[in-house]
Amino acid sequence: MSGRKIGDVILDLNNISLSFGGVKALQNISFNVMEHEVRAIIGPNGAGKSSMLNVINGVYHPQEGEIIFRGEHRRDMDTHQAAEQGIARTFQNIALFKGMSVLDNIMTGRNLRMKSNLFMQALWIGPARREELEHRQKVEEIIDFLEIQHIRKTPVGRLPYGLQKRVDLARALAMEPEVLLLDEPMAGMNVEEKQDMCRFILDVNDQFGTTIVLIEHDMGVVMDISDRVVVLDYGKKIGDGVPDEVRANPEVISAYLGASH
Amino acid sequence: MSFFIETLLGGLMTGMLYSLVALGFVLIYKASGVFNFAQGAMVLFAALAMARFAEWIPGWLGIESLFLANLIAIVITVGIMFVVAWLVERLALRHLVNQNEATLLMATLGITYVLDGVGQTLFGSDIYKIDVGMPKDPVIMFEALFQGGVLINKEDFIAAAIAAILVAALTLFFQKTPTGRALRAVADDHQAALSVGIPLDRIWVIVWCVAGITALVAGIIWGSKLGVQFSLSTVALRALPVVILGGLTSVPGAIIGGLIIGVGEKISEVYLGPYVGGGIEIWFAYMLALVFLLFRPQGLFGEKIIDRV
Amino acid sequence: MLYRENGQFKTSYQADQQIFPIAQDRLGVLLLIAFAFVGVPFLVDEYMFRAILIPFLILSLASLGVNLLVGYCGQITLGAGAFMAVGAYAGYNFLIRVPDMPVLGAILLGGVSAAAVGIVFGVPSLRVRGLYLAVATLAAQFFWDWAFLRIKWFTNDSSSGSVSVANLDVFGVEISSPLSKYLFCLTVLVVLSLAAKNLVRATIGRQWMAIRDMDVAAAVIGIRPMYAKLTAFAVSSFYVGVAGALWGFVHLGSWEPAAFSVDRSFQLLFMVIIGGLGSIMGSFFGAAFIVILPIFLNQILPVFGAIFGVEISTATVSHFEIMIFGSLIVFFLIVEPHGLARLWSTGKEKLRLWPFPH
Repeated sequence: MSGRKIGDVILDLNNISLSFGGVKALQNISFNVMEHEVRAIIGPNGAGKSSMLNVINGVYHPQEGEIIFRGEHRRDMDTHQAAEQGIARTFQNIALFKGMSVLDNIMTGRNLRMKSNLFMQALWIGPARREELEHRQKVEEIIDFLEIQHIRKTPVGRLPYGLQKRVDLARALAMEPEVLLLDEPMAGMNVEEKQDMCRFILDVNDQFGTTIVLIEHDMGVVMDISDRVVVLDYGKKIGDGVPDEVRANPEVISAYLGASH
Repeated sequence: MSFFIETLLGGLMTGMLYSLVALGFVLIYKASGVFNFAQGAMVLFAALAMARFAEWIPGWLGIESLFLANLIAIVITVGIMFVVAWLVERLALRHLVNQNEATLLMATLGITYVLDGVGQTLFGSDIYKIDVGMPKDPVIMFEALFQGGVLINKEDFIAAAIAAILVAALTLFFQKTPTGRALRAVADDHQAALSVGIPLDRIWVIVWCVAGITALVAGIIWGSKLGVQFSLSTVALRALPVVILGGLTSVPGAIIGGLIIGVGEKISEVYLGPYVGGGIEIWFAYMLALVFLLFRPQGLFGEKIIDRV
Repeated sequence: MLYRENGQFKTSYQADQQIFPIAQDRLGVLLLIAFAFVGVPFLVDEYMFRAILIPFLILSLASLGVNLLVGYCGQITLGAGAFMAVGAYAGYNFLIRVPDMPVLGAILLGGVSAAAVGIVFGVPSLRVRGLYLAVATLAAQFFWDWAFLRIKWFTNDSSSGSVSVANLDVFGVEISSPLSKYLFCLTVLVVLSLAAKNLVRATIGRQWMAIRDMDVAAAVIGIRPMYAKLTAFAVSSFYVGVAGALWGFVHLGSWEPAAFSVDRSFQLLFMVIIGGLGSIMGSFFGAAFIVILPIFLNQILPVFGAIFGVEISTATVSHFEIMIFGSLIVFFLIVEPHGLARLWSTGKEKLRLWPFPH
């Protein structure tokens, strides 16, 4: 982790509460994320980790709390706004566009930057055509970065799981995000695939300076790659700090060992 | 005032028939996730079979009694609807498990064509009548309340009673019998139902068969009122807004939705129709359902869908 | 061994992004279009033009429009017939009410009107999906059925909504013979198909498909569902509306609302499903299948009857027709739910490897 300098707070979540009907998914949660850091969210199943990411990029709207992103105070996010502000995301159960090729999937990540209108696209003239080429160039760079050249024309539905996860990451990277939310990027992978994925995540963080918020179950990985860790359990925050602090926190230990609450 | 009440009651009667057809939709959708466009064709098919057998049987068996002839015709038609259900499951549905909604919808449209074709080839394509001995004479009611009273057909009353009995019977069937419970289990989760040993194929045959019987009841009531003819097949299209209003998965929704649409249609046609040129009842029902959808996408009683990411 | 892409190396992204990256495909399609313009007119008679080719071309255009919405954007519609009607009647009104309105202009404005109506009736898609949406689009169908029958202004006060147009001419060329009608429709179809192909390979097409495949993920990468869905409704309705105007102006000449009934809507949906959802080529296959099948059955059934020594009445023929039509649809959905286009591409893949099995 050389050459990387952790900056100021970029994303600050204050007293976030979210419930569905009577189910309280998140209760009064606060934590912050600093520029260029790798921030992990951990916790047992059903702790509210994915809900937390969904709040950050506007899929869910919390009933209470405040989100401060790059100095702007908001009640909640909206997906389009979040995307425009540079928040990208991958999904736990791969949410790729399965009827489209790898290339097209990654190209969709560029949609906010493509400005030509419908008529130009229909006639394939001028800006529309130029744009396609420019963005293809950028997408090819990402394809090279993630080493998926050989499958660029394959429909994503036909790819094995590990590669689909990589395409999911590629699509998020195509947005050139400031903040990248990763929802269990290594779930269900074998050791080699995990190592590859770790390498990609660290490279993204290192080379592009992208801030990373990561949910992961593999504690070894989390403790290795993250700068700070926040721990959720049953929708509540029970720990926050650098990996060593969290590891020593008795509440965290009991949550993970399933001791009585 | 009495004219308004008559319109209202007329609307309720039509609405009840819509409810019966909508009930067929809901039953099949709940158990198999198939939106059965062929429900209307099944109404026509059942009504045609019923009308023609009731006509042929006295000649074949030398029975004089109208009641007996009708009874035998009904039994035969129920048998035929069972065969239809079995064939649909065997030849179509079984091979279409896990297809997307649009494909399934189109498949039932295909079944609609087949049923229309077969029905008319076997039973003819003229207008036939069903006479189950329902009294046609009107009665005047509520004379004490309004001047001149309210004019009502006895036939409509009996029809309403039959429909109510059918609904009650279905409710009992779903709540009390093991098969009914299995049906509800399948509706909740196909795979879970399979894993506890509920045979999916048999359930589908049963549910199509039940839908066939509701089609027969609707066909008999409608047919004895207006005659059995091809236009019966389009009743499916008129009952669609009902399902939307009531929610695709709700039996009470189908019934209440049917009544709302029936009344809404009649009242709009009588009071609004003359100003805009008449004939508005079809699209009015759809617009009603559409406006409703915008505010409550899951229908009156449908289950709310929450997206998980 | 003829169909190979070996040795065709792409040296620029532009070359890789062509409509038909494989040289043989490019040549094949160009030859086909050339044949349609130059060869066909010498080979077929008036009946073929009137009964098969012109309906095929126009319905191909309509099913292409429906496919953009259903196949590419994933929004089911059962109201396509209504948008054809809007195209036809709006075009008619532009033609008779605007002085010196050129025919082509009226047809295109018919399409534009249909697009506007399509946007309005596409609004429910922002709230509901699947079957509920299908029913919402049926509302459009029944509303416009009624409107063109009852609102006399639309039909210039004619009774029962029947209207007619005569003396079509486009840029000084009179469109009256079957051949000229055929060539006119063919030109419109080729131009609009090309535009459709461009749209689906551009960013808007990817947005439609993204919404179709996974709408939450699409929103997360910044696609606005409202923009994507409503443009799909607009573009689709434009195509369907132009097809409707052609159907009225060129194919029928005089028509009434029944020409665009709910049966037409079903027919169009059949075309895209049998042809292949999300495939431009599939739209043509589907249209060909649905146009030719009834004609074929109509011809063949009496012959069959004669073989078995049975006289088959016209009524029976028509019942058999719908029966066989219905069963074939179910059969197709079972054996190839992805439509004829999938068979075509599987065939091509096989051909690419031939004579080797893998």
